[in-house]
Amino acid sequence: MNPKPYSNPYLVGVLLGVTLLASYLILGAGLGASAGIARVGALCARIVAPAHTLASQYFGAWGDQPLRYYLVFMLAGVFCGGLLSALLANRCALGVERGARCSSFKRLCLAFFGGLIAGFASRLANGCTSGQALSGSALLLTGSLLFLVSVFAGGYLTAWFVRRQWYD
Amino acid sequence: MINTFFNSGTLDSAGAFFASLLIGLAFGVALERAGFGSSRRLAGIFYFRDMAVLKVMFTAVIVAMLGLSYAKAFGWITPENVYFLHTLYAAQILGGLIFGVGFVMGGWCPGTAAVGVASGKIDALIFLLGAVGGSILFNELYPVLAPLTTADRGVVFGFESLGVSEAGFAFIFTLMAVGCFWGAEAIEKKRNGVAEYWNSNFLKVFSALLVVGAFGLFAVQTRPVPVPTPAGQEQALLTSLQEGTDHIEAQELADHLLGGAPDLVLVDIRTPEEYATFHIRTALNIQPSDLPAALAPYKNKGMIVLYSNGMTHPAQARDSLARLGFGNVYQLTDGLQGFLDTCLKPISLRDEPVSPVQAAKIRAWRAFFLTLPPPVTKSVTPAAQKER
Repeated sequence: MNPKPYSNPYLVGVLLGVTLLASYLILGAGLGASAGIARVGALCARIVAPAHTLASQYFGAWGDQPLRYYLVFMLAGVFCGGLLSALLANRCALGVERGARCSSFKRLCLAFFGGLIAGFASRLANGCTSGQALSGSALLLTGSLLFLVSVFAGGYLTAWFVRRQWYD
Repeated sequence: MINTFFNSGTLDSAGAFFASLLIGLAFGVALERAGFGSSRRLAGIFYFRDMAVLKVMFTAVIVAMLGLSYAKAFGWITPENVYFLHTLYAAQILGGLIFGVGFVMGGWCPGTAAVGVASGKIDALIFLLGAVGGSILFNELYPVLAPLTTADRGVVFGFESLGVSEAGFAFIFTLMAVGCFWGAEAIEKKRNGVAEYWNSNFLKVFSALLVVGAFGLFAVQTRPVPVPTPAGQEQALLTSLQEGTDHIEAQELADHLLGGAPDLVLVDIRTPEEYATFHIRTALNIQPSDLPAALAPYKNKGMIVLYSNGMTHPAQARDSLARLGFGNVYQLTDGLQGFLDTCLKPISLRDEPVSPVQAAKIRAWRAFFLTLPPPVTKSVTPAAQKER
């Protein structure tokens, strides 16, 4: 079975915008993904070094049960929604996405360090593309709009150096 | 009007968790249908090959912005109901730049990586492991980085920063989005030879709808706030008097206070001497002339209940506050005397028989209200009340 074509990006954008609107009208807060990941990080740190983590300024403030947080549940929802949609569109396939002349190892190294950098930066900026660039910009918040511009500035400045992981 | 989980302080409740899960579900479906379970498609925007990220994200931002603006203008949602992220220039600009580097290296951002894992992408899983590590790294470096997070500017809006009207900013922002959509189609057409939506009727109609939607904000946002006329105000006061909506019954108040009542401010407007002798537990002592200033922090938030020995002074004070724009002031039916007779009078002294349920309530009220509160010797100042 061939994967189905992607949806009209503008109509998907409307769906995403309405989801974000619902989040503001029901929860009173926007969408978020990186906070859920950071909460998992706090849990890992707690398991490895409980006393140190509880005493630390940043993770310590999240208390004894860092996963009891609404954005953790939202991240779980994103995974389930993604799985549901991918299964319905025949887009579930195990593999490493990369250019023909890029080794899997190189691609996975870039993915790991990219994740490390993005995870760190999302804590520094208190949000990622979901929480700041998307949700904050929809509220026209100055800091979120600056974050959005900065993400693309950082991305375009780096893109040339890592182009070979996709294109030969 | 909407009361969000954030406003009611219940974002950590099971209900909020369930709502978050459902919202996340829709979020995940939208990301996957957009094709964001593919890192190559996501990274495409940085090589001007696939501009889907721009189209989806900018559309979502504009749609949510328009929806929220109309919801606000029509009074469906008030600003207190929404959590606004603070602006911290250094942290957000530096964080954004670093994030962009990680985004293009890894080919994912946190939300799309979750969809990538769901789509079977091993690189997405590795990206997420890295992101967990990056979060832990931030925690370890936090003592060094903390200065970046101290320059908090609070809630700052883009239209404030530029000194333009909210509707004007939203309109220009929407025009920019539409311009970017056409630019993105042009780039794809030039780069790939084909662009599905370039010059299509769909994109024309879609662009027009967004622009008209944004233009409409000029009409609703500049709508003058109706100023209550003196006659209308008096009419409202008389109506609330007739319908009894300006009162709270003694039993209702007692139950509220017994339950903690975080959103209820009880005010004793008698003299400090009378207050010192006895007052209803949790009551503040404010003299009538100080009421407007002292109650300003609670104006139209929760409930303000006034009482005195009888009902004359609280009624007059309530009407005066209502004319000053306080829409949430009530008086205690039959005053303190009524409260004592209804709630605190021992069962043995009552003329009429008391049902077992009522008897249990009276015992609970007596235990709560007749316990000696911490001694209060002087009137509470407005500054001290804020820290309640």
